[in-house]
Amino acid sequence: MTEQSVTIVAEVDPALRAQVVETLLDLLPKVLKREVPGVSEDTTLMDALGISSTTGLELILELEDRLEREISVEDLDRAHFETVGSLAGYVAGNLLPED
Amino acid sequence: MTALMAVSTYIPEGRMAIEELAEPLDLTAMQMKVFRRHHKLAEVSRDPDGTLLDLLRGAVANLDALEGREQQVRYVIHARSFPVVVPYPVNPVHELCRERGLDRAVAFSVGEHACASGLVAIDVAGRLLAADPDPDALALVLAGEKAFTAEAQMVPETSFFGEGASACLVRAGGGPDRMLSYSADQHGEFDSFSDEIGRAYQEQYTDLLAGAVLAAVGRAGLEMDQISLILPHNVNRMAWQRACRRLAFPIDQVVLENVAAYGHVFCADHFINYQTAQRRGQLRPGDRYVLAAAGAGRGAVFSAMVFEH
Repeated sequence: MTEQSVTIVAEVDPALRAQVVETLLDLLPKVLKREVPGVSEDTTLMDALGISSTTGLELILELEDRLEREISVEDLDRAHFETVGSLAGYVAGNLLPED
Repeated sequence: MTALMAVSTYIPEGRMAIEELAEPLDLTAMQMKVFRRHHKLAEVSRDPDGTLLDLLRGAVANLDALEGREQQVRYVIHARSFPVVVPYPVNPVHELCRERGLDRAVAFSVGEHACASGLVAIDVAGRLLAADPDPDALALVLAGEKAFTAEAQMVPETSFFGEGASACLVRAGGGPDRMLSYSADQHGEFDSFSDEIGRAYQEQYTDLLAGAVLAAVGRAGLEMDQISLILPHNVNRMAWQRACRRLAFPIDQVVLENVAAYGHVFCADHFINYQTAQRRGQLRPGDRYVLAAAGAGRGAVFSAMVFEH
């Protein structure tokens, strides 16, 4: 079995990634429907916040609305939901071109 | 050698947009958007006035190869996702046997593999036929259920069930589609509704599904690059995108168009997809293809079966 799928995108625009991290931190209370004090880029989404697969995908949709850009989910794997930072890395590297 | 002799399906005409299920299943607009946008689910079939017998009857009516062979049918097997599919004492399989003159057949259901029960039913049919003294004996394997409870309408976080049915004539002595291998990987440790076990199941889902495919392909003495097509369970597109990455298998060689059209038609998905592949000329003589499914209920099963066309 190959492990090619879980490569976290490394080469992304740091400023864009930082913007996505900030947006994610801002969106988490809305998607989780509760306050989430002390979250950071290193917070684990599934283990610490108990995010489910559907909630994780809701977060992607909310991000699209906020960023006004579509995100490709073709290469999105469960491993990308490990932390706020890993998800931000994926998103920053998989924004579809603007029309 | 177990072989499929003929396959037929039936999907009732009634359609429902998945959004119509939001209110009865207490789902938010955002959750529905996830199902449509990411999982690529769109519609499911519903026949509110029809019964399970109507669904099974529809599939068998389309099985032309059964005509004139009724007395060869020794086994009628209904593959079930759910253990209870009709209220007691209704028995649509017995009723169908009476209607179609299948009076030499033993009729029973096969389950406990949830949505992977269609594959175990084919395997059971093949084993029974191999042990039957009559070389012309046949088995009729049926699948399809009514979405008649909340549980039978939705797979949480994953999919919506659609109504429909399939019917397969199985024989032991070879035929148009010969079974090369079967693998069923059972996981009793997922027999729990706790959040922790649910997360563990989700976490391992892709690897276990891909693992079942690899196990069956290996048992057939093949490599993935010798497989021309996967006929999946129709839970959603994303589950198969992920499994394909693990398998390094092209997603366009997985028949996924019926996910949007019909949703997850219980144990009948593979056979609906088989017909789609055949209609599109995607099954050529000599092609090896895989039927694969994950079944979750009380525990989980990840299964795959390799055929040669």
